[in-house]
Amino acid sequence: MVTGVEKYVTLPTKLYGMVRNFVESIGRYFLFLKQVFRKPEKWKIFLKQFVLETDKLILSSIIIVGVISIFIGGVLVIQTASNLENPLIDRMYVGYMVRESLVLEFCSTMIALILAGKMGSNISSEIGSMRITEQIDAMDMMGVNSAGFLVLPKVVAATVLSPFLMLLSFVLGILGGYIVVSATGIIATAQYVTGLKFCYNGFYVFYSCFKMSLFCFLISSISAFNGYYAKGGSLGVGRSSTKSIISTSILILMFDLIVTQLMLY
Amino acid sequence: MIKVENLYKSFDGIPVLKDISVTYEAGKCNMIIGKSGSGKTVLLKNLIGLLEPDSGEIWYGDRRLSLMDYSEKKQLRQQIGILFQGSALFDFATVLENVMFPMDFFTDWSKAQKIERARFCLNRVNVINSDGKYPNELSGGMQKRVGIARAIALNPSYLFCDEPNSGLDPYTSILIDQLISDLTKEYNMTTVMNTHDMNSILEIGDRIGFISEGTLLWEGDKNSILGTDCRELKDFVCANTLARNIIEGKH
Repeated sequence: MVTGVEKYVTLPTKLYGMVRNFVESIGRYFLFLKQVFRKPEKWKIFLKQFVLETDKLILSSIIIVGVISIFIGGVLVIQTASNLENPLIDRMYVGYMVRESLVLEFCSTMIALILAGKMGSNISSEIGSMRITEQIDAMDMMGVNSAGFLVLPKVVAATVLSPFLMLLSFVLGILGGYIVVSATGIIATAQYVTGLKFCYNGFYVFYSCFKMSLFCFLISSISAFNGYYAKGGSLGVGRSSTKSIISTSILILMFDLIVTQLMLY
Repeated sequence: MIKVENLYKSFDGIPVLKDISVTYEAGKCNMIIGKSGSGKTVLLKNLIGLLEPDSGEIWYGDRRLSLMDYSEKKQLRQQIGILFQGSALFDFATVLENVMFPMDFFTDWSKAQKIERARFCLNRVNVINSDGKYPNELSGGMQKRVGIARAIALNPSYLFCDEPNSGLDPYTSILIDQLISDLTKEYNMTTVMNTHDMNSILEIGDRIGFISEGTLLWEGDKNSILGTDCRELKDFVCANTLARNIIEGKH
């Protein structure tokens, strides 16, 4: 049994072990990326896999992104309107603030956090299951770059095409707000539309698309990394899936802060 | 031919393989036998390059595995066929696509040629009318046979089998054993098979190496295995009723 004093003596050792494991993981991650980004053996096979992954990762996310965006757009209108009850403030600012909230943060960061769960767990459990059933070993033994074949199409599809999900979320979020405005009369629809057009900054859309691409790169690559090195049977696959969601969620918020500071300040 | 010289392998300081030296000949079913946990699978994984030995050398013909670079290893792997214990068929592909997989990557054949070769391999292993099925729709024996078809798709020089009869009924086990033996002789492959199934050993074992606690204790063939003086091997063999009866002269 570890006594109180022994606990404090072993604490630096444990911390050292944790820091070392963390740094080793980062190193292994970059070595994994080097393997992933090797030139594909056959471009035709890569393109076929790219199309399949586009369907699995991007197209299958449209419904969840759409539904969430519509409802969040409506909620934002109600919350913003309820906070702008001062008669001196023009009600058209409701539309303006809904637009800015959606484009700056919700459509990129919040949607990415949702995709971290959906896309991330899908990727890591799929690749993890292949690892524990020796399918990845079988590919490696045939001389196929398993990391390139399995992971590269996922990473490219998620990174390149995720901005379309962001744009879809933006449009549907605004539409959701319009539906609530029309249905409840919380503000006049003309005021809502005027607010949407007020002081529009196209750079914010680019900023949001860039963030979305970066976040989806992190989601796809880190989830694939955790799945690729899963071990310990089905429990290991579950652990890799959980680890993927947690680590990508934290990294999304960290990089959100960094990118915002770099691009907007 | 594959030659192993003074192979050592350990995990976390615990030795798993100790000074293994053995030669595996072409056109023969070379077997690695031993109890569970004796180091058979670790040896097999070292041979196929999934693990790196701590010391020692593995020769493929006149080429040393440890000196091969990435592209040389890739070329070698195209000459290797592997049948994993769980078949390791790709879940995302049909039976036909599984067998065509190595051809898609390493040949410039037309689709028609690849399909023809895949169907030839499937017919050879007696898997018929299952082209469009997925692995989860197949029985264990069929999965193993599709695994063999995929392993021989590119006419490999080397065939590795990790407990090919694991989980199969006795009748299907005999079919798989015979298939492996016939293909080995037909294509003059160097076949290395990892097993603890005495029936397989006695049926098709041309060269047998017995591993106990990481050490190669005995080498011979299926005719000499029953008359061995090696105590550990005798205990291993006599655990099988048929073999025990033969040794005791009751069969």
